Amino acid sequence: MATWTAEVFENEYLAADATDVHAIVSVGCTGAGAAGQSGDAAEVIIVDTSGSMSQPHAKIAAVRKAAAEAVGDIVDGTWFAVVAGNHKAMSAFPPRGGMVRATEITRSQAEEAVRHLEPSGGTAIGSWLRAAIALFGSVEAAQSHAILLTDGRNETEAPGDLHAAVQAATGLFQCDCRGVGADWDVNELRGISSALLGSVDIIAEPEKMAEDFRQMMQASMARGVADAKLRIWAPQGAEVLFVRQVAPAIEDLTSRSTSVSALVREFPTGSWSDESRDYHVAVRVPAKPLGSEQLAARVQLIVAGEVVAQGLVRATWSDDSTLTTRINPAVAHYTGQAELADAIQEGLAAKAAGDDTTATLKLGRAAKLAAETGDEEATNKLKRVVDIADADTGTVRLKRDVSKLDEMALDTSSTKTTRVKR
Amino acid sequence: MSPEAVVPEAVVHEAVVHVVCPKCGDPVGAADQFCESCGAELGAAGAADAATPSPDAELGTQLRAPPRSQVEQSAPTESMGGEGLRCTCGGVIDADGWCTTCGLRGASERDHFTEQPASHVAAVCDRGLHHPRNEDAVAVAASDDRTVLVVCDGVTSATDSDVAALAAARAACDALVAASGPATGSPSERIEHWQAELTAATLAAQTAATDAAAHVGSSENPPSCTFVAALIDGPLVAVAWVGDSRAYWFGDDGTATQLSVDDSWASGEIAHGATREVAEADPRAHAITRWLGVDSPGGDPSFTSATLSVPGWVLVCTDGLWNYCSGASDLRDLLHAQAAPVHGEPLATAAALVDWANAQGGHDNITAALARAGVASPTRSS
Repeated sequence: MATWTAEVFENEYLAADATDVHAIVSVGCTGAGAAGQSGDAAEVIIVDTSGSMSQPHAKIAAVRKAAAEAVGDIVDGTWFAVVAGNHKAMSAFPPRGGMVRATEITRSQAEEAVRHLEPSGGTAIGSWLRAAIALFGSVEAAQSHAILLTDGRNETEAPGDLHAAVQAATGLFQCDCRGVGADWDVNELRGISSALLGSVDIIAEPEKMAEDFRQMMQASMARGVADAKLRIWAPQGAEVLFVRQVAPAIEDLTSRSTSVSALVREFPTGSWSDESRDYHVAVRVPAKPLGSEQLAARVQLIVAGEVVAQGLVRATWSDDSTLTTRINPAVAHYTGQAELADAIQEGLAAKAAGDDTTATLKLGRAAKLAAETGDEEATNKLKRVVDIADADTGTVRLKRDVSKLDEMALDTSSTKTTRVKR
Repeated sequence: MSPEAVVPEAVVHEAVVHVVCPKCGDPVGAADQFCESCGAELGAAGAADAATPSPDAELGTQLRAPPRSQVEQSAPTESMGGEGLRCTCGGVIDADGWCTTCGLRGASERDHFTEQPASHVAAVCDRGLHHPRNEDAVAVAASDDRTVLVVCDGVTSATDSDVAALAAARAACDALVAASGPATGSPSERIEHWQAELTAATLAAQTAATDAAAHVGSSENPPSCTFVAALIDGPLVAVAWVGDSRAYWFGDDGTATQLSVDDSWASGEIAHGATREVAEADPRAHAITRWLGVDSPGGDPSFTSATLSVPGWVLVCTDGLWNYCSGASDLRDLLHAQAAPVHGEPLATAAALVDWANAQGGHDNITAALARAGVASPTRSS
């Protein structure tokens, strides 16, 4: 059985008339076990086999190897299938479609099948997702996960088709998305992975694909808790301003809630392995007289309808400014990291649109925030796109002749956060 | 402030309790429930991670929750059992202690309770205004041949002292109710008998406080409490104590006597010649030198007795009351002033004393146990 913990980091002291309570709730899970222990697990590997995958040939060669290695890591008993996607989705394995349970035999059959993937045709990612929906719908799994790899934009179907497919898939399965090369659209894949509670990343060099696929599959196979929900209670008259996952990556959950009761909302978090995730919860409560104390939020993790962990977010109104002016370090850190992600994405969007002034301003702000929050990875990736003249003031110059891959790497990693130092 | 447990004598100055957060190591106040740096809960073991209720949580709740329903103790005067707790807004108080509708902290049954086993004896135990929990405890009883008043004050700087204090008070009260009475005998023989019984009751309290520590499983800073028990047998009053909770005698003839002598830094100073005012104003005044609990320094309780020639009041109380009115004659005047409007009804008078202490600031938990005494045989209520 998994063991859960919830820790709350906040400054509960509010000055007179203050109303906004910010807290970081760190949820930890240990003893999660392996996927499939609380009902069947299902895996679909979706690889792009459009014509562009042969340019260069290394891409399709990498896909064949990566798909085979990922299949090799699927644990016995897991339902699985491999989908070859171009302008339509085809079953690469099993040959007659549907899903099969992983055994030594089916895995080796699948490994053989993916060696014969041949690139041709266009790219219609929505059709791939619809194929995955149908596959997951054909088995009764407690947890469903897909890996999706593409090298291009969603060109051979209307944007609305992809959007509708993502909506249809939301809540049915989780999906980690990867782009290989520089011709895919970060925002397009991030839209898919974000809605489907997965990660997005760039595979700049095809030879690194196999290792990345193995990591994704092993991570998925380690998620022994099939599904958990974040449940938030806020008092009558209060408003939940936002609920945001802030570690390991930023994901705004605010708009994804379902109402449990008038005061209680639930947010999907998908499946869990042995890991910890941090959530930033902001609640606006009506101001109370000095000295008053009140619970601003109960933050709970729900597994199979049971509360497995709870953190209490409190508010105490005080006239002691040494208490009320203090900003909790965890709240400050993750507020900075969220702002950093926004600054990077907005700066790169402005740069792409040719608005160098805004791009310089935003990326300068990002350089400052990355330095302040000690985010060395972000600083290093920023340095490939801008020359940082002075991180303290956020003074940067846009580099000329920036590699598209470097920009995409900065973009995809913008939502990954560093942990607060404790 | 509540008493802080200290090592007696030479190292008293080290009594100032330095506590650090077990999670982040930052310093925290002895009375803090939460670490201000990392937010870790510092108080009750059961409340720490609502995530995983400890196996002892149920027992802890049981120990924390008045009332008793023992026949000889009679029913408490305020309803404290049964249905789920309600907030002032009408919402339900969750097991985590907070209202599920408005988010206010729910008042616990433990925060304020009263006992009145007979018309001549009553007690009120109250959280006061500043402490997050009520770590005071009281248990009173009356039978045909004796009246028992027991008060304990949980040491704030220790974990779960509220549990230990209540367990100790009840154990001692039960022991004194169950003790055989001296069939006959001279006053001195009777006093000798009650001294032995009070010593045994103190041991029962010590055992209960130690058991409470075992149940809550806190080893670093085990729960501890003060102890004072008064037994009234006709014209005799016998008092045993450990720590600085007090017993007073206020005769209707104007006599005002503090029967107990605090086991505290201040009384040690007074014994060495310091004035009461100076000694009690010292920051170390409330540091107690003896207490009950796992780390109790041990020894028999202090003991005293008195023969009462006139009717009057026996008052047993914690420092939440006497700290605002320490001198015996001041406290006598206060008691008479509070008793007059309610015609000396013990429960109303005890409640008035507690209300008065809250009006002075309510900085600590407050307990007042009162009995009319010094009359030939206390009448039993119907």
